[in-house]
Amino acid sequence: MGPLIPQGIIPMGWDFVIALLIGIAFGFILEASGFSSSRNITGVFYGYNFVVLRVFFTAVVVAMIGLQYFDYFGWLDLNQIYVLPTFLSPMIVGAVIMGVGFIIGGFCPGTSYTAIAIGKIDAMVFTGGLFLGIFLFSEFFPFFEQFYYSDNMGNITIGEFLGISNLMFTMIFTAIAVIAFYVTWLIEKRVRKNHEEYKF
Amino acid sequence: MNKNYIILMSMLLVLAAGLLLLPEKNNTKQMNPEELMWDIVQPTRYVTTDDVAKSIIEQDPLLMLVDVRPESDFQDFALSGAINLPLEGFASDDTRAELDYPKKNIVFYSNDDLRADQAWVLAKRLGFNNVYVLRGGLNQWIKTIIQPVEPAQTASAEEFSQYTFRKGASLFFTGTKLSTTATTKESVVVTRKKKSSAVAGGC
Repeated sequence: MGPLIPQGIIPMGWDFVIALLIGIAFGFILEASGFSSSRNITGVFYGYNFVVLRVFFTAVVVAMIGLQYFDYFGWLDLNQIYVLPTFLSPMIVGAVIMGVGFIIGGFCPGTSYTAIAIGKIDAMVFTGGLFLGIFLFSEFFPFFEQFYYSDNMGNITIGEFLGISNLMFTMIFTAIAVIAFYVTWLIEKRVRKNHEEYKF
Repeated sequence: MNKNYIILMSMLLVLAAGLLLLPEKNNTKQMNPEELMWDIVQPTRYVTTDDVAKSIIEQDPLLMLVDVRPESDFQDFALSGAINLPLEGFASDDTRAELDYPKKNIVFYSNDDLRADQAWVLAKRLGFNNVYVLRGGLNQWIKTIIQPVEPAQTASAEEFSQYTFRKGASLFFTGTKLSTTATTKESVVVTRKKKSSAVAGGC
């Protein structure tokens, strides 16, 4: 049956309406999970709060397992899903910049908007910087255009890259997620002993 | 640790392990049948003999001619620069490797467009998007490029310019000498100035 839009079950014109609805739901979940708080975001780095890691790992694992079952039941044709191309080294550099931005700013781009929605002034400053960054990036794009498009590995999945089936990789990734949940729980317990004043 | 978390985690693990029991799916990426049908009815896959002749003359680096007739026919006559991939062995891995030039415009031709069209559908199914068919095949090639027919006096200027091009292309491909009439030849009398004298003066 799915994917709904490429199969023509939902007309293309609804793209933006659906995007808007998903965006609202995403923002709501971010705020409800406490992601508008910079403490939660940076807590991953300092080791006292791993809620971000847990929420995202859970989201990824649930989506992975769910989509594979959907494919099996014939509800969704995974072959028709668009896989974004991988540019390995530019992506690593981008991820490092993003991570540093997380720790310094205390928000990721999405959470800064949910924080604005609950009236945080530092988030407003953060989004100002975000737009400045976008502007500078666009202006100076020709300087790093070559690097930006380098290392193109095409539309590849991790399973294809490692030469194992996507089902196998899902299993391995789920195991990694569960281990990560347990390890971060242990770290949290130890670090929070020294954070008696810390409250959610 | 909360008991609920443990239950949820074990559920996740069981579901993930269940995935391993699912049958391995054949993930060959194929063209959507509807898309293929849509492409088949489009005339855009055809290129004219004039276009191909022009590309050959201009030595267009993007042009790749593929002869899909049997090898014996290919030995007898082929367009310059063409490679031979007989339709019989078309679905082999060799074909895939031979056609794997995503930037090139691959043009199939046969005696007419029938076999070339078949090759085109096969190539399309193999996932090549940059494939075309020479409209009319070699028969059309002989008719238009090798032996062009002069248009009637009342024909449009475009037809005449097309004819001029074909005539020129015919010369290019057949190597026939330009037949020049005597009247066009004018003997040029070269008159040389006589040197007035030996070197006068000097240093």
